[in-house]
Amino acid sequence: MNEEIDDSEFYHEDFTTASSWEILVANMEEIVHQWKSDKQHEKTPSSWDIKSEKLIYMDHNFDFTLYKRTAKECSMSENKPKHVLEEYYDFTLENSNSQDALCLFDWYGLNEFIVCSTAGRIEATNNESKTKILLSALTVLVNNMNLDIPAFVQIQEKWQKVYCGVYCSNGIRTNFDIVHLKRGPHYCQNLTGLLQLFKSKICSPCSIENITVSCKLTYQLQEFENFCNVSKDIINLGSLFKLPLGLTTSPVKTLSLHAVWSCLSEHSVIDSDSQTDFVLMRAQQWHCNVEFEDNLLCLLGDCLSEYLSILNNHNTIYDILGDYATSNTPEMNPLDVLTEPAVPTISSLIGKATKFRPKRRRQRYALIPDETLVTLLYFLFPDAAESGTVPYGVQIEHLPRKYTIINNRDEELNNIKTCNQESLVWRLSLVLSLCLQNFGGLKAFCHLWYEFVQEMRYRWENGIPIPGVSNKMPDLRTCLLNQKLQLLNCCLDRKIAPETQKFASAENSEDEEFFDATDDLDEEKRKEKYSLWDKPVGRLAKFNDLKLIKTGDPLYIPCTQDPVLKTEDQLDEDADMLLKLGSDNEASELRARIMSASLLSDMESFKAANPGAILEDFIRWYSPRDWIEEEELDEYGQKKGSLSDRMKLDNNIWVEMWENSRPVPAHRQKRLFDETTEAEKVLQFLDLRTVSQIVELVIPVLSHASLERVLDEMEYFPMEIPHSQTRAISLLKHVQAISRDSKCDIKRFEIFMQEITALELQISQISFLQSTLNPENIEDEQINNMIVAFVLGRNVNIENKERSIIGARIMELFKLHTQKTFNMAPNELRDRFDQIHPVPAQKEFVLRTDCIRPNLHSCQSPQFLRAILGRNEFRLIGAFSEDTSFF
Amino acid sequence: MPFGSNIIMAGTDPKWQKDAADQNFDYMFKLLIIGNSSVGKTSFLFRYADDSFTSAFVSTVGIDFKVKTVFRHEKRVKLQIWDTAGQERYRTITTAYYRGAMGFILMYDITNEESFNSVQDWVTQIKTYSWDNAQVILVGNKCDMEDDRVISFERGKQLADQLGVEFYETSAKENINVKAVFERLVDIICDKMSDSLDTDPTLMAGSGKGQRLTDAPQGPQTGNCNC
Repeated sequence: MNEEIDDSEFYHEDFTTASSWEILVANMEEIVHQWKSDKQHEKTPSSWDIKSEKLIYMDHNFDFTLYKRTAKECSMSENKPKHVLEEYYDFTLENSNSQDALCLFDWYGLNEFIVCSTAGRIEATNNESKTKILLSALTVLVNNMNLDIPAFVQIQEKWQKVYCGVYCSNGIRTNFDIVHLKRGPHYCQNLTGLLQLFKSKICSPCSIENITVSCKLTYQLQEFENFCNVSKDIINLGSLFKLPLGLTTSPVKTLSLHAVWSCLSEHSVIDSDSQTDFVLMRAQQWHCNVEFEDNLLCLLGDCLSEYLSILNNHNTIYDILGDYATSNTPEMNPLDVLTEPAVPTISSLIGKATKFRPKRRRQRYALIPDETLVTLLYFLFPDAAESGTVPYGVQIEHLPRKYTIINNRDEELNNIKTCNQESLVWRLSLVLSLCLQNFGGLKAFCHLWYEFVQEMRYRWENGIPIPGVSNKMPDLRTCLLNQKLQLLNCCLDRKIAPETQKFASAENSEDEEFFDATDDLDEEKRKEKYSLWDKPVGRLAKFNDLKLIKTGDPLYIPCTQDPVLKTEDQLDEDADMLLKLGSDNEASELRARIMSASLLSDMESFKAANPGAILEDFIRWYSPRDWIEEEELDEYGQKKGSLSDRMKLDNNIWVEMWENSRPVPAHRQKRLFDETTEAEKVLQFLDLRTVSQIVELVIPVLSHASLERVLDEMEYFPMEIPHSQTRAISLLKHVQAISRDSKCDIKRFEIFMQEITALELQISQISFLQSTLNPENIEDEQINNMIVAFVLGRNVNIENKERSIIGARIMELFKLHTQKTFNMAPNELRDRFDQIHPVPAQKEFVLRTDCIRPNLHSCQSPQFLRAILGRNEFRLIGAFSEDTSFF
Repeated sequence: MPFGSNIIMAGTDPKWQKDAADQNFDYMFKLLIIGNSSVGKTSFLFRYADDSFTSAFVSTVGIDFKVKTVFRHEKRVKLQIWDTAGQERYRTITTAYYRGAMGFILMYDITNEESFNSVQDWVTQIKTYSWDNAQVILVGNKCDMEDDRVISFERGKQLADQLGVEFYETSAKENINVKAVFERLVDIICDKMSDSLDTDPTLMAGSGKGQRLTDAPQGPQTGNCNC
């Protein structure tokens, strides 16, 4: 056995003489071959196609990565320059991407390159000899494969972005080298010094004459708080109608203005210690870009995320409010004082019983202060005060919209299953959000809900209708919370109504009898027919001159019981129960019996209103299609007829019910719908919600309100937000889905939240830039386009420099900044500004030339040096080429 | 309630345990058959679900349902078909069940003018109480009774075009087009569903297996059902 194992090891032993370095090169070649044979990706969202592989060499991991600009970006590919450095390029208008190595594009203008860097944190390439090993591997790779792509090794610390690289093409080798220092030597601080450095580095046998120079000076503005006021929300009645939107701080981190000169001859400009031609106002071009702060707090997004954070809180409001809810005396409920209860409520009695408890709640808990609470409750219940409130249903005048974001907006938004904007539930969701976000978070949220439920109970007990909720039957197209309140309001209606209604119906029936009695004969007949216990009761109206088949008396529609009202959760329970019975015939019959309660009630009412009626009479009113008329007339002059076949079936539930029913008027029947029980159910429902359940009730309305808020903002915005329509429609689809989910789908809500926050951020950024750069709100497409480009992080060329609107405004901002820093009076500034030049935060020079190197008979090759002179950074980026042939 | 005791019995009935275990399907569609009284809704459903026909079914009290599982596009689709009472008095009860229905079969009787004239009303009811993406097919039933016909095929077709829905004439008695109507409705719903799946990836998570049934909170509640 042992021998066998030895054998296998023996055969696996590699007897070739390849060193690990050669293997590394071979691996690299293999990877590059693989990349070359790879098909081009059809679609890449970014402008860079990046392919990466792992390499291991000397126990270190390396990333071996190919960066390639996607085809649409380099439209110049047809007339490809001979040498990569001849890709004409000085300063990109594109912003540098997040990918570290893409700075090589920014610096050298390379469209395609390979980078070998250490994977992970360990810096294996700190050491110079190791760097050389890797670089020589790359050189071999490039030469072996005739690779027309520059290859780089990243060296030193990663953040320093220092690379060295090599490129071979047409007998010319180019070495890329970078120097990175905190502070540069003094002779490198201006163009004169850099030119000298460049020339001495090239070390050409001929004199170098034709160096072209490009220069970029960067001026920066920071601390935007000084220039602009960001709107801070103040709580007043008007602001209650809207969810918050926007930022509390300036979104802009830095505004950079770049003064650019391109391709000057070295002899035409002077930049030395004592004198410079590079002054902002004399630049050839101005470029500008804006860097935004990260992690800004967007008020609307924050509001939604607050909800998300308590969605998993399964405590009841009593768990959270603790003593407060149980020891609260009703006198302390501000609205009780307002509405002056005539009858003590249950809670007031409990309150009195516990009055002796020490009062410590208000100090102990961060609950809503009384004054604020009264404002909020007046907002919810405007009928409680005589003036100073905004009642429901008052239409707010809208200015004409500037943009149409969603076609048929009203119709589309009506498809959201929430509630009317002029409703209690809508306002409640706004107020709850306000409590959660501004008045003390979860406790304030629970406090408000508690007060709301108390108010509901108070109104039920005292028969005060609930404002902002229709008293029609629960509308299943609205959200559950709205349905519950509708149901409660219906119960209230029926509770208040009975006395008046009963009175009216009594009067009504008396009237009718009186009216009928005008016919003396009729009355006598009636007295004969109806004994005391068989008097007709509960008549609503005559039905189409029909007469009862047996007696010939007019057929009356009976007063029937009010319909049973249910909210969708109750209906779902019913449906589930019906479903659970199964689907065979027996179950069908059982379902019919369950459903027949109202049929029985109607039959009894009918019998009470029409003594002497038979099933045929009932059917003629209830299901006329089951009465088959014949041509022949009966003794009362109406067509004879018979029941349809299906009504004549044996064991027919209709016949059976008719036989079992007794003449009982609706108001004496067992109630199909007991408003007291149902109202108590609603109150219990509201009272016992956990935090999570309250959030689930509110989230649909809140999402809808957020959408409305963002739409309003965009429709009246000074300019069009990019992709506003598609984004709005996506949000709308989310809200419609959220409103219809029977169970809150957290993932969906999160996606909605992210989308709306992103939109809010962009709206705020644009709005901030508009107010900063275009304070007079000049409507100009060019300005708008520029602002959008800033928001998208692009570098923008400011045409006409300081003579354009934006350019002038930027200069003004710099002047204000200078004034602040030098503490000057405005007059003084005006006089002296031309002399005080703003100090550039960064200078950048690009020097290029073609020259013969290394000896007299070499051919010309491109030389390149970029110098970046920043406040805390000094960087030289060089690329020096030489002829590789001996002569 | 006189029939309360029956319901409790149903709770212990082995039948609904079978139903609870019967979750072998990929999708569940809730469909509704609506239309005036005695246009043949119940007969139509019995023909489809049981392939049986009787000249007279007891007039439906309130609402009833049948279940049929079909294969469509290699998926098992469980159809929960609700049969409604057509009488005016039952409107409030039946409209409550429109919520969440994915398809409607709106039926009239080709021998009855009034039932045809009510179609517009029924469409309004659907618009009011159902979700906006519910699919509708208009059906003229009893097409075997050619002698008593008062609504021509063209009138039916014209109305359907006007309403933007598909149209069939059927006979539950002669078994004409009954299966076709249901199959077509299922297809329309599937198409619509895949459309919305394409545009809304978050829907994928929600369209699991017959969630409505499995979400049922608890057993029968006798107190609540007095409809």
